[in-house]
Amino acid sequence: MASRKEGTGSAATSSSSTTGASGKGKSKGGSGDSAVKQVQIDGLVVLKIIKHYQEEGQGTEVVQGVLLGLVVEDRLEITNCFPFPQHTEDDADFDEVQYQMEMMRSLRHVNIDHLHVGWYQSTYYGSFVTRALLDSQFSYQHAIEESVVLIYDPIKTAQGSLSLKAYRLTPKLMEVCKEKDFSPEALKKGNITFEHMFEEVPIVIKNSHLINVLMWELEKKSAVADKHELLSLASSNHLGKNLQLLMDRVDEMSQDIVKYNTYLRNTSKQQQQKHQYQQRRQQENMQRQSRGEPPLPEEDLSKLFKPHQPPARMDSLLIAGQINTYCQNIKEFTAQNLGKLFMAQALQEYNN
Amino acid sequence: MSRFFTTGSDSESESSLSGEELVTKPVGGNYGKQPLLLSEDEEDTKRVVRSAKDKRFEELTNLIRTIRNAMKIRDVTKCLEEFELLGKAYGKAKSIVDKEGVPRFYIRILADLEDYLNELWEDKEGKKKMNKNNAKALSTLRQKIRKYNRDFESHITNYKQNPEQSADEDAEKNEEDSEGSSDEDEDDEGVSAAAFLKKKSEAPSGESRKFLKKMEDEDEDSEDSEDDEDWDTGSTSSDSDSEEEEGKQTVLASRFLKKAPTTEEDKKAAEKKREDKAKKKHDRKSKRLDEEEEDNEGGEWERVRGGVPLVKEKPKMFAKGTEITHAVVIKKLNEILQARGKKGTDRAAQIELLQLLVQIASENNLGEGVIVKIKFSIIASLYDYNPNLATYMKPEMWQKCLDCINELMDILFANPNIFVGENILEEGENLHNADQPLRVRGCILTLVERMDEEFTKIMQNTDPHSQEYVEHLKDEAQVCAIIERVQRYLEEKGTTEEICRIYLRRILHTYYKFDYKAHQRQLTPPEGSSKSEQDQAENEGEDSAVLMERLCKYIYAKDRTDRIRTCAILCHIYHHALHSRWYQARDLMLMSHLQDNIQHADPPVQILYNRTMVQLGICAFRQGLTKDAHNALLDIQSSGRAKELLGQGLLLRSLQERNQEQEKVERRRQVPFHLHINLELLECVYLVSAMLLEIPYMAAHESDARRRMISKQFHHQLRVGERQPLLGPPESMREHVVAASKAMKMGDWKTCHSFIINEKMNGKVWDLFPEADKVRTMLVRKIQEESLRTYLFTYSSVYDSISMETLSDMFELDLPTVHSIISKMIINEELMASLDQPTQTVVMHRTEPTAQQNLALQLAEKLGSLVENNERVFDHKQGTYGGYFRDQKDGYRKNEGYMRRGGYRQQQSQTAY
Repeated sequence: MASRKEGTGSAATSSSSTTGASGKGKSKGGSGDSAVKQVQIDGLVVLKIIKHYQEEGQGTEVVQGVLLGLVVEDRLEITNCFPFPQHTEDDADFDEVQYQMEMMRSLRHVNIDHLHVGWYQSTYYGSFVTRALLDSQFSYQHAIEESVVLIYDPIKTAQGSLSLKAYRLTPKLMEVCKEKDFSPEALKKGNITFEHMFEEVPIVIKNSHLINVLMWELEKKSAVADKHELLSLASSNHLGKNLQLLMDRVDEMSQDIVKYNTYLRNTSKQQQQKHQYQQRRQQENMQRQSRGEPPLPEEDLSKLFKPHQPPARMDSLLIAGQINTYCQNIKEFTAQNLGKLFMAQALQEYNN
Repeated sequence: MSRFFTTGSDSESESSLSGEELVTKPVGGNYGKQPLLLSEDEEDTKRVVRSAKDKRFEELTNLIRTIRNAMKIRDVTKCLEEFELLGKAYGKAKSIVDKEGVPRFYIRILADLEDYLNELWEDKEGKKKMNKNNAKALSTLRQKIRKYNRDFESHITNYKQNPEQSADEDAEKNEEDSEGSSDEDEDDEGVSAAAFLKKKSEAPSGESRKFLKKMEDEDEDSEDSEDDEDWDTGSTSSDSDSEEEEGKQTVLASRFLKKAPTTEEDKKAAEKKREDKAKKKHDRKSKRLDEEEEDNEGGEWERVRGGVPLVKEKPKMFAKGTEITHAVVIKKLNEILQARGKKGTDRAAQIELLQLLVQIASENNLGEGVIVKIKFSIIASLYDYNPNLATYMKPEMWQKCLDCINELMDILFANPNIFVGENILEEGENLHNADQPLRVRGCILTLVERMDEEFTKIMQNTDPHSQEYVEHLKDEAQVCAIIERVQRYLEEKGTTEEICRIYLRRILHTYYKFDYKAHQRQLTPPEGSSKSEQDQAENEGEDSAVLMERLCKYIYAKDRTDRIRTCAILCHIYHHALHSRWYQARDLMLMSHLQDNIQHADPPVQILYNRTMVQLGICAFRQGLTKDAHNALLDIQSSGRAKELLGQGLLLRSLQERNQEQEKVERRRQVPFHLHINLELLECVYLVSAMLLEIPYMAAHESDARRRMISKQFHHQLRVGERQPLLGPPESMREHVVAASKAMKMGDWKTCHSFIINEKMNGKVWDLFPEADKVRTMLVRKIQEESLRTYLFTYSSVYDSISMETLSDMFELDLPTVHSIISKMIINEELMASLDQPTQTVVMHRTEPTAQQNLALQLAEKLGSLVENNERVFDHKQGTYGGYFRDQKDGYRKNEGYMRRGGYRQQQSQTAY
């Protein structure tokens, strides 16, 4: 997940289509199977997503929407998007599918790409690795193979660096999800670890040349934006929040492990009992045999010892994935901050 | 059955009694009050000797008449019923029949009935019209009578041959029968009141009279005077009556007689009661004398009118001319009492009778013993008046009861030679022998206890916000006075056990009252001795504290039942707490060890315990001991059921969980309103205590993951306050406390103060304290101190040093106080700082970890436990679960640092995946 795609400067200025490494995203090669190697996003889409969050999302609430576009060679071009309305209690009978179809039909009438290629979602401090996301991305990918989910982090963006990432499920995870079997054995067989759940697809933001020209024009004319969020040295709040969230996940993880532990203990205990039972049975049969009696009838052991329900491991995988994301975030953040601090120190020294 | 007869065969008389009841019931139709229509003694004495034969035959004739009536209206079902009864009655009369031969009238009815049935049977038309029940009854009856008649075949044929003669033979009954039937022939309706009435006009039969009486009963609220009247008429104007009338009376009389002599007590009592009731009626009757006179121009009533009312009454209670002796009175008393608890007994009448008896006894100077005895019974009957436990006495009854007890006490005080006790046996009583001390069975203590309970019940059942409640509450003084009198009496005469019980009653009436006078006295030390003396004279009673002390100590020393002692201790603590004697109260509570085993006590005691704890908490709060206050109130408040726990109301929530019965029981446990502890005050005290404890604590442990809530309820209130989307100025008490807490969190004691102490809160809470100003002063100081602590906890990280003078200005505390508070905090290692004496400043050490560091530390800890858990999973795979692992785990904890554990983790993840 090292490949972070970020437009330098504010979103408005991140126009260059060639900025950033066009990524070798995954160290673990899983993306090779898929035809899509790169996601190309229109500036319009980025702005629309940001605007959507600005207007409707706040705090921990997330906003979601549909991405439209088409696949060109090994590129997924996202050319437009539209938001989902926020859910409220009063419109419980709101038909999402109907709404989507309507929207797409309407957009087609105005000659906009109407192919469904995924969806986007905002996130709060990078906590997006959830069951809900997994499920809906699975259903998307199940229906439309090339679809991705765009994760937009408004907080990081507010700090000065646009954070937009495209993810999709790895083929391995797709298989496991198709089976709907999240038992420890199945996951082991699928060879799934938290690192192999999502793969990130490199993103390129592309604007038309006309827009680029306009941007250059504007940049020259306008006074330099004197907002330097990027250089802010205040770190404690963000870091604290991240730590708190990380801690919560760790707690969950702990609980999950305890649960699993109990399961294991119970199973082994049962195994022992089963074993004892079988032995007793065998001994008795031997005695009976020596006495010339018929052996006891076979009994269904699985009925006597109902196997315990193994706990689903998917949640713990997701938590692990989430923890991983947090760690990456913190690492990144601290690295940047250290850099900033050194810079500030140097500046101070220089001034003195 | 006659007096003479009974001696011979008791058992038979009994059986016949029950039979009689069975038999007579249908005749009158509604015989519920049957006992009331008995004649008076005079009549009885006239007709003492009556043969059993008459009685039996009377029964039979009654039945026969009903059958005839039923035949008239073609009510075959009724016929069948009656016929069966008739058969039984005949069976009972068998012995007589054997002697006398089968009575003619009996044969006649059998024959008639059979004929009648055959006729009906033949009448196909009619049969079709009959309803199903009747038709069924008809066939049954027909079969039965055929079978039955077979036994009497000869008699019947005989009768059929010459009905005239047989009719002559048993002239009386048959005549009456035919008469009755001919009468009734006239109206098809059959047995109607009109018929009876008509009959009465010429010759009032027993039945009609009963019937009439019945109606009158209903009309005149169970007054039986008319009945008496009827009887009188009957006896005096018997010349015009037919023999049947005579016979009727005879039967009734004989029934009466039969009962009187049987030693079966209940019978006797019932009869007596009836008699006496008649007497009571008499009082009322005297008012209507004129009217009666018209009715019966006969002698009796004139005679009565001539006499003095009392003289007139006596013969009603006792036979005329009977000498009123102890024995007679006692006998009457017993008879009256035996009716107690019986179904048909009119309890109000019984009470009046007893009162009459007292009057008679005193008229005749039978001595105090008897009067005391009767008074006991009166009070007992008053209590009995309400059969239902849940309902309470009517005010007039209650008043009567109080008066009666007072009178009783008067007598007992006036006559110290009377011994009263429940252990005195009925036989051991000495009611009149003046030579020896009088001994009366009865327990004054029980009566008083019961009275007290009644009082509680009355208070429970009165709307506490009505004037009525105030009126009832005025009686409390009377109750207390009575209890005090009884106490004085028992102190002289009673056993220690009794004294303990009455002391407890006294305590229960004292403990919850705030002794304003004593309080006043305390406030104004005896400077002017003359004035205090005057006060003393005014008060004329000991301090309730001294009183409580004395009573409780006695109980502690002498009581042998645990319950009384427990109650006494609790009341004592409550009283101490109420009067702000915190240390005494607390010590008593701790020494009694009640907290350990109170859960085994019965609910009322537990309620008392809860009340005591609450009072203790409030007391602690008044003393400024917030921590103690909080601890004392925690149990009650945290459950959220304070109302229920204090017995001050039922929770609606649990209404569906309990059934009717439980609810009744719970309702009975409720504490009367005047003992209630103000719940809002209670909650406010609790919340404010919690605030004073919790806010500094929260500030001190803001970043501590393991901090615990001191008070869940307080936190709950805070959360509720936070959830408020729009914060207006606080309205309720809770909102005030929440707003104050918020201010305190910032160390803003002035705002906090203004939220806690203001007009609204004064009105709602603080003014309820007896020393409101003292409490408020204490509270302000507490708020200042705790705000200072909170301020230091919250903002110490932003200071390098802070001058104590500044702090003292900020919180308006004097310097030494600030100094002591800060010193305490430093000593307790709550504040990492040191005091710089010369400059009077607090120098912060800044050794506290920052928020991030704290978080990081917590995270490290959590990760540690995560790793440990993970290792267990790992061990499972290795199969080395058990002792080995546990040793290891301890090892990690003790010896190995975090790094080492990290190492393990790596190792493990390699193997695991």
